[in-house]
Amino acid sequence: MLSFIGRSIIQKIVTLFFVSVVSFLIIHLAPGKPSQIDPLNPKFTPEILERFRQEFHLDKPLYVQYLLFYKGLFTGETVSWKDNQSVLKKIWERFLNSLPLFIVGTILTWTLSFPVGIRSAIFRGGFYDRSATFISYLLISVPGFFVAYILIILVVTQLHVPVFGMETFGLQMASWPTKLMDRVWHLLLPSVLGATGGIAVLSRYVRSQMLEVEGQDYVRTAKAKGLPPDQVHYKHALRNALLPFVTMFGLILPGLIGGSVIIESIFAWPGMGRMAYEAILARDYPVILTVNFISAVLVLAGTFVSDLLYLVVDPRIRL
Amino acid sequence: MTNNQETLEGLLAPKRTRIQEFWLLFKKNRLAILGLVFFVLFFLIALAGLFLTSGHDPVFNPALIRLQEKLLPPLSTPNPNTLRPDEHPTLGFYLFGTDNLGRDVFARMLQGAWVSLTVGFVAVGISLVVGIFMGGIAGYFGQNHIRVHHILATCLLIAGAVFAVLGHVYPAALLVAGVALYILGMLRTKQPHKNGPLTSWLALFRMEAVSIDTLIMRIVDIMLCFPSFFLILTVVALLPASMYNIMIVIGLTSWMGSTRFVRAEFLSLREQDFVTAARALGVRNLRIIFRHMMPNAVAPVLVSATIGIATAILTEAGLSFLGFGVPPPHATWGNILSDGKRFIFDAPWLTFIPGITILLVVLSFNLFGEGLRDALNPKLRER
Repeated sequence: MLSFIGRSIIQKIVTLFFVSVVSFLIIHLAPGKPSQIDPLNPKFTPEILERFRQEFHLDKPLYVQYLLFYKGLFTGETVSWKDNQSVLKKIWERFLNSLPLFIVGTILTWTLSFPVGIRSAIFRGGFYDRSATFISYLLISVPGFFVAYILIILVVTQLHVPVFGMETFGLQMASWPTKLMDRVWHLLLPSVLGATGGIAVLSRYVRSQMLEVEGQDYVRTAKAKGLPPDQVHYKHALRNALLPFVTMFGLILPGLIGGSVIIESIFAWPGMGRMAYEAILARDYPVILTVNFISAVLVLAGTFVSDLLYLVVDPRIRL
Repeated sequence: MTNNQETLEGLLAPKRTRIQEFWLLFKKNRLAILGLVFFVLFFLIALAGLFLTSGHDPVFNPALIRLQEKLLPPLSTPNPNTLRPDEHPTLGFYLFGTDNLGRDVFARMLQGAWVSLTVGFVAVGISLVVGIFMGGIAGYFGQNHIRVHHILATCLLIAGAVFAVLGHVYPAALLVAGVALYILGMLRTKQPHKNGPLTSWLALFRMEAVSIDTLIMRIVDIMLCFPSFFLILTVVALLPASMYNIMIVIGLTSWMGSTRFVRAEFLSLREQDFVTAARALGVRNLRIIFRHMMPNAVAPVLVSATIGIATAILTEAGLSFLGFGVPPPHATWGNILSDGKRFIFDAPWLTFIPGITILLVVLSFNLFGEGLRDALNPKLRER
């Protein structure tokens, strides 16, 4: 057990190192330079350009830049090239904005997809199953921004509630129920949209997992000895079908930072995805690289957690 | 004798080829058939669109601007008094309406069909080639080890390339020549000298560092660490805007799944008797891989490729939406949609027509892919 944890941590650190090298190379070897972002600006004289390059170590060889960047990242000194603010502080602020979206989206995904998936597995081939299958394919296939616009039109014209941004401007003096409802309305659409794809995929997965367990011999035995169907489905089948989903808790971790670039830009939500998008537009290399690095850390941490959970949950796996 | 044979064959179950069996299973899935029909229809439309909208004097001109006819709803007829005769829409009316520059949306959708199809197929083609290559090597040659001297030679080669890029010609030439000499030497002496003062040093160089399988799977792990849409967005934004860059980037960031599939299939296939038999007959490795193993391993890859095309079309639409899609002279469904979003209240058809078309096409690819998966799944065959 301990040796497994140790080995896997070392492996993950090596992977992380290569990820950092590759992302650094991708960004710095791509054509175009951050100093040329605004070539028509008359204030951008060659002297200023030179000062800019020196300030951000762009005149040094690539490996020195790499070492300087990651030294800065670990000591927390890295600053954004755009506004000279600390990158970690910026990301933390945006992360707090994205967090409610992520939490509501995850809760929606996990509470809706289980009943749907289980029900369509139990009534396999019936009308419910077929329509659930079709709707989940529909949800996977539809471009998110298209649904977003349809929903915006519907909600704005029918319900007359605000949807853009995180809260309505100028509502700071209102009473707290008004404020709360305002926040809820703003949160509703983006989190529902963020959850749709997840619901579709997860409910299909729940269904196939349930079907697999329902075909096992012990379920047939339970049915044959005359147990009530509910007990067979929920006690014998469901408990065993849940096993893989325990590990999936680890895999939702990367969603914390990925957010959705598209959804957040449509709804003008000041979250992580939007910040990353703005950083790409401005060629703000430190922000892009830091977001990339943190999300790689989260992916690796997520797989690690899911491995550990599997060890705990499944008694057949003993190392 | 012949009579005997006939009775024997009569007793056996009706013989069906693999394709017939597959088709029988596939036919049962009505959604998948629907997907296939849409898929073929879309392919024909895209092909027709390529011929009808390209060339000097296309039948449907997607780039013709008629400012006096802008934002007309679908099925509206043009005003003949304000248009020159050659500016009339080919059908006599605007089937899908016009956009904010008075361009015929139907012609633009036709052109976009081909672009979307190309993006999907080329991106998935690239990812399949890389994926099958990497997965095949990992699965078939995976047990071989990379030795220390291989790594050293690669490092020298990379150093040579770096020198060449930086403009130092002589060290670069020296390093490359050194590596070339080294490779020649490797080819000449298959076996190292058993005795001699250099043996211990040579043994150090011939030490096994890492197996090929581990190496490739670690590369896959590294690639999986990147958030894929964010990575695609970053690279596309940094590179000059072009249709080919988008295809290549989408392809190079989505090969990990097929690598894993092919590797897993190859690992189980290489232990099977027919592969052992082929090897015992002295069949060359390449022939075993492509003639004997690949046809057996390719089914799950094809399924993921079908769904991959759908994903690539969606990704392109998303990139277009954010302003990094295929650049303007080409119309794509994504950029028709993202241009239309500014007129969503005045001209909803500019949003709904491309949106619903993308939905239908992606849905048909997904349904078709899932139908393929079910039909190719041996577990479902008896049921």
